[in-house]
Amino acid sequence: MKQEKHKKSLLGRLQRTPHWKKEEFTEIEYEPTSVKELLTEMKDISELIIDLAYSALLFNSTEIAEEVKFLEVRMDKMNYDIRIMAMMAARTKEDAEQLSGILQIAQAAEKISNTAGDIILLMELKPKGLLPRILKDADEQLFRIVVSANSQACAKMIGSLKIESETGMRVIAIRRKNCWIYNPQSDNTIQSKDTLIVKGTNEGYNDLNEFLLGKQEVLD
Amino acid sequence: MKQETFESMVLTIKEQSELMVDLSYSSLLYDNTTLAKEVYELEEHIDHLFERLHHDLFQEVKEGNITVKTAQILLKLARAGEEIADAAREIADVQLRDVELHPILKMSIQESDEVLTKVQVKEPSILCKKTLGQLKLGSETGMTIIAMRHNNKWLYGPNKNTRIDAFDILFAKGPEDGEAHLIELADGITDEI
Repeated sequence: MKQEKHKKSLLGRLQRTPHWKKEEFTEIEYEPTSVKELLTEMKDISELIIDLAYSALLFNSTEIAEEVKFLEVRMDKMNYDIRIMAMMAARTKEDAEQLSGILQIAQAAEKISNTAGDIILLMELKPKGLLPRILKDADEQLFRIVVSANSQACAKMIGSLKIESETGMRVIAIRRKNCWIYNPQSDNTIQSKDTLIVKGTNEGYNDLNEFLLGKQEVLD
Repeated sequence: MKQETFESMVLTIKEQSELMVDLSYSSLLYDNTTLAKEVYELEEHIDHLFERLHHDLFQEVKEGNITVKTAQILLKLARAGEEIADAAREIADVQLRDVELHPILKMSIQESDEVLTKVQVKEPSILCKKTLGQLKLGSETGMTIIAMRHNNKWLYGPNKNTRIDAFDILFAKGPEDGEAHLIELADGITDEI
């Protein structure tokens, strides 16, 4: 049962900012799962974690920075697991050649997550004024929106609202009271007073913002 | 050199490196060596840009035009992009090796949250003869065009002024329902963007 739990991705779940246990850094234990699931999750995390790192800096959020650290440690562990699994799966030279490609991708994903760890270290330098100036000309930017009680989005699932396909805005994280949902999935709902961190174009942001503030009835 | 110039260099490195990651995964998914080779070239370009930024920033700090702290922040952000570019090159490297890809690789890429897609634009499509700026595919369908083959030429990270013509091949990234919409538009099945 315990292993079943581990198999499920941590993303898209309501969670508190993790409290740090020393073991999480020191003890690496091999847990069997499937290479495909591991690699998929590593790829997903590597794409999310960079946006989270920039969000932490931009919105000066130590909580998001903690999540980045947490994911970074998790990536180390997944990279370890995938190496062991690959070694156990290799029977011939051809196997080994093919599996080494998988390990190289996993390594690259881990490298990206380490980079995210370096980005949040910049918080100490307080790049407050500088970072928004650099990012303002980007095609896609990070925004924060608080959902109004009278928005049609309340109590609806992200998938049914089609936020991304209607506005191009990707929801990176949701803050609900003291909890967070990182990389919400299509079956996660939006609630009144949620804070959404989203990524996309200025135009997409304007549409989504109107909708989440309750000024616009439908997204289109 | 002005501080703004450095800032836009940092942004270029950030955006290009993230594009490279998408291109490298696309190269694996579609067995596309051209895309993988482009990642190599972009990586070299980023290396040059990073070296230049490094050198010029030191110069400006020495002359007292930029503070040490600002230079530190700019350099660290640029380094982050440079490392992501390196990671993208490592991904592309798997495609360029003379080994058949493990089937799990493609499955993992296909099952991840953001879908990569490839579609050819047909003649009756509403997309023809319009620029990306006019079409606003990003905010209307959620799909970002990361690369395209246009008049026998490759374009990477196309911008607002890039025009789509019949028979162009688009490589895009976005949500699953956005993918279906883009395919219908490219096929000419729907005119509704």
